[in-house]
Amino acid sequence: MCEDCGCASPSHNHKVVDVNQSLLAANDALAEKNREHIEELGAVAINLISSPGSGKTTLLEKTIERLGKELRIGVIEGDIETERDAERIRAKGVPVVQLTTGGACHLDAALVHKGIHALEHQLDDKKLDLLFIENVGNLVCPATFYLGEHQRVVMISVPEGPDKPAKYPRAFIGSDVFMISKTDLLPYFDFSSEMAIKDALLLNPKLRVMSVSATTGDGFDSWLAYLRSLCQ
Amino acid sequence: MHEISLVQGLLRQLGELAGEHQCQAISKVRVEIGPLSGIVIDSFQFGFDVLSAEQDLTRDALLEIVTPPIQYKCCYCGHVCLSSEGVPDSCPECSHTLLVPEGGDGLILMQVEMV
Repeated sequence: MCEDCGCASPSHNHKVVDVNQSLLAANDALAEKNREHIEELGAVAINLISSPGSGKTTLLEKTIERLGKELRIGVIEGDIETERDAERIRAKGVPVVQLTTGGACHLDAALVHKGIHALEHQLDDKKLDLLFIENVGNLVCPATFYLGEHQRVVMISVPEGPDKPAKYPRAFIGSDVFMISKTDLLPYFDFSSEMAIKDALLLNPKLRVMSVSATTGDGFDSWLAYLRSLCQ
Repeated sequence: MHEISLVQGLLRQLGELAGEHQCQAISKVRVEIGPLSGIVIDSFQFGFDVLSAEQDLTRDALLEIVTPPIQYKCCYCGHVCLSSEGVPDSCPECSHTLLVPEGGDGLILMQVEMV
């Protein structure tokens, strides 16, 4: 009889190994290294997750305009293709690295590891206060991969509809901040902020809820106050 | 389709385990995929079928996926109940309607059988 599993096969000479290890163990170990590296630079990192077109890059542009003189900001941009987002951020005068995944739907710790090294070369004094990691536009896959960030921000825009937290729970369960963007469009869309917030808090009662409009500037004061508080 | 990336990671882990235990073939792999892990089980299975066939070590490996129920905790009385069918309408103990999930997002390589 097989010693490992008790099956009757005399030739059954196999091993049963209890592993009980996360499938993400390798990613998470590398993410911890990223976090150490980010902290050596003196920075707090934010992983920004949303669908394509929610306004991640615009949020960063406006944030840099308002905070760029006060804090040393760096950006790692994740996209499937093109340098377009990095060009927009570069135009704001801050160090930026574009990661193109070549088809993959999310950033992982290994890609971000490369990104941090590339960004470090652009820093004169190797110091940063705030590192934004703009994930690939996707509300599903990025949620699974820890990158070494200190805070995770999940964003949905008003035109997307308020059902996103209920439909994409993982992104909300793993986040620290829930941001609603494009609030200047509220009069034109049937968007219930109450429903979106209620569904999100049901999944994760610890979420800090914010809303912004990059067009009117509404809500930026609390967003910037939150960012400043992270850097103290 | 981040399931493919996860399967690639799993196959790397299996390669390391086989080396560690000096085995030539993996016969069975048991993985726990939580209902809130954001993983589409069919896509994971598909990825495993395609990628495991590409190497001798895993060609005949059987993938067993275990999906545990989610624990929901009542925000009012703290009672914990299990559910496989989404958020319960109300707490079975105190009838309060605010129940939040606990766990259920695990992605765990539980057990490997190898020869």
